[in-house]
Amino acid sequence: MTRSATAKLGAYAALAGAGLLAALVLGRPEVAALAAPFAVLLVAGLSPARPPEVHAKLELDAERQVEGETVTAYLEVHAITAVERLELLLDLPEGIETTAPNPQLLSLHAGERRELEYELRCAHWGAYLLGQVILRAQDRFALLVYEQTLDLSRPLKVYPRGEALHRLLRPFETQAFAGSQPPRTRGDGIEFADLRPFVPGDRVRRVNWRATARRGEPWVNETHPERSTDVVIFLDTFAEARTGATGTLDLAVEAAASLASHYIAEKDRVGLVAFGGVLNWLTVSTGVTQLYRVLDSLLDAEIFLSYAWKDIDILPSRTLPPHALVIALSPLLDERSVGALADLRARGFDLAVVEISPVPFVRPGGGELDDLAHRLWLLRRDALRSSYLQLGVPVVEWRHGMPLQAALEEVRTFRRHARVTRV
Amino acid sequence: MLAAAGLALATGLREGHEVFLLGVGTAALFALLGGLALRWSAAVAVGVALLGGQQCLRLALGSDELDDWTPAIAATLLLVAELAWWSLEPRVRTWAEPGSAARRLATVVLSCAGGSFVAALVLIAADTHIGGGVFLELAGVAAAAVALALVAWVARTRVG
Repeated sequence: MTRSATAKLGAYAALAGAGLLAALVLGRPEVAALAAPFAVLLVAGLSPARPPEVHAKLELDAERQVEGETVTAYLEVHAITAVERLELLLDLPEGIETTAPNPQLLSLHAGERRELEYELRCAHWGAYLLGQVILRAQDRFALLVYEQTLDLSRPLKVYPRGEALHRLLRPFETQAFAGSQPPRTRGDGIEFADLRPFVPGDRVRRVNWRATARRGEPWVNETHPERSTDVVIFLDTFAEARTGATGTLDLAVEAAASLASHYIAEKDRVGLVAFGGVLNWLTVSTGVTQLYRVLDSLLDAEIFLSYAWKDIDILPSRTLPPHALVIALSPLLDERSVGALADLRARGFDLAVVEISPVPFVRPGGGELDDLAHRLWLLRRDALRSSYLQLGVPVVEWRHGMPLQAALEEVRTFRRHARVTRV
Repeated sequence: MLAAAGLALATGLREGHEVFLLGVGTAALFALLGGLALRWSAAVAVGVALLGGQQCLRLALGSDELDDWTPAIAATLLLVAELAWWSLEPRVRTWAEPGSAARRLATVVLSCAGGSFVAALVLIAADTHIGGGVFLELAGVAAAAVALALVAWVARTRVG
């Protein structure tokens, strides 16, 4: 523990010294009597003073939690020596809040153990290290201060709270693996597709007896096989717009977490590409393990300023499998990500862009010129969206407070009409 | 502040030189008030020192007889200083230890009582007639120097 004197100690020493000196100068013993209590208090306070010895242990009741939920932290304090006044602060990172009193004041006897309980609210998603405990002890007369910082780091992962999605976007093409999506092709499966006349080699169990009786010749059912799809979530981490605690990256991460959990729940394979100053990717896979891999990668997503030009050539080819649906979550603020998305479309990827709108985070300036600049910026964004639409890429604007499902439905509508137009 | 005001007022109105002593007392109160409002310990120390200075002036300008009220004044001065520094300390919500404030108050009161006792002992020692002389004066100077040195030594060894 580091030890330091309080201002009180210096002041009392000065008062005692000045009083004794004044008593000598004035020749009045009363002045010495006035100063004596200060001197005696100093001696009484400093003589038995020795550094307190305190140990602490921190436990969390969960290492993973969802945004908005609570985690309970148990802090056990063990005093080896008696501590008259112990101020104890559990230093919480931004994004974790507590309603418990923090700092707390304790008085501990020698050998006493005390368990303190903190209910921590996970206000914001992220990967945290909890456990910086700052101890500050004072002697009985508050003349000396002992301070110590204990590093009892415990990891806590707070996952973004995704929203419920009723219908997901489906890629145009499915993969060869079994899943729960009916492809356009026909084959062995349980999803009814069509009727056709019986041909030699058809199984008898496929005969549709009702249609056969009506038409006087054998007809069989055709079915869709159940296949999985590959979905790659493309997270733009080049730039973001932010005001206060909310920014476009936060919204993008929440949307990505929702999409990943729902696609994996439907046995699809999901991959992640965080395309920005630092490139991060996960090849497509399925299962709960992959879900946690994706979520952990999302927790690490951050804006890293970089001026280096990057395009999708730097991505390993396995991260973008053929026939995968690429869902891009981007504020469309950086030329590199805008170019990379256009490049993906040019290479034939099935692409949908959910634009995390930066407009609510940008306030136009007060002047006429600022207003004009803001309008020009909005027009440029409209032009950018139009260029994507001309490439056949659905672009939907998604804002804070708007259901993600609405954005997905808009993409679905665009894709349905786009297919009709192509026919 | 109430204790300080009471002490300053009682001292100023007790004997002659009321205006002068009241002026010093008022300055002490302003220094204390400023220190508490701005949470500035130096101003609090100056305020307590001015209160003590007011007593010194009163004694210097008064009669030569020993003042019987000195132990009470010493205890009040210490009480003012202790409460002022307590007020300056950062506020910590004492949910975990509801009795800590009561314990602290008891410590302050006992310190003041002890201070009063020590002041009374000093006065009794000063009132004892064991014959004057240069040697006794030297013994007094040496005792004051030793007391100061003791305080400085304890502070250096405990803090350093």
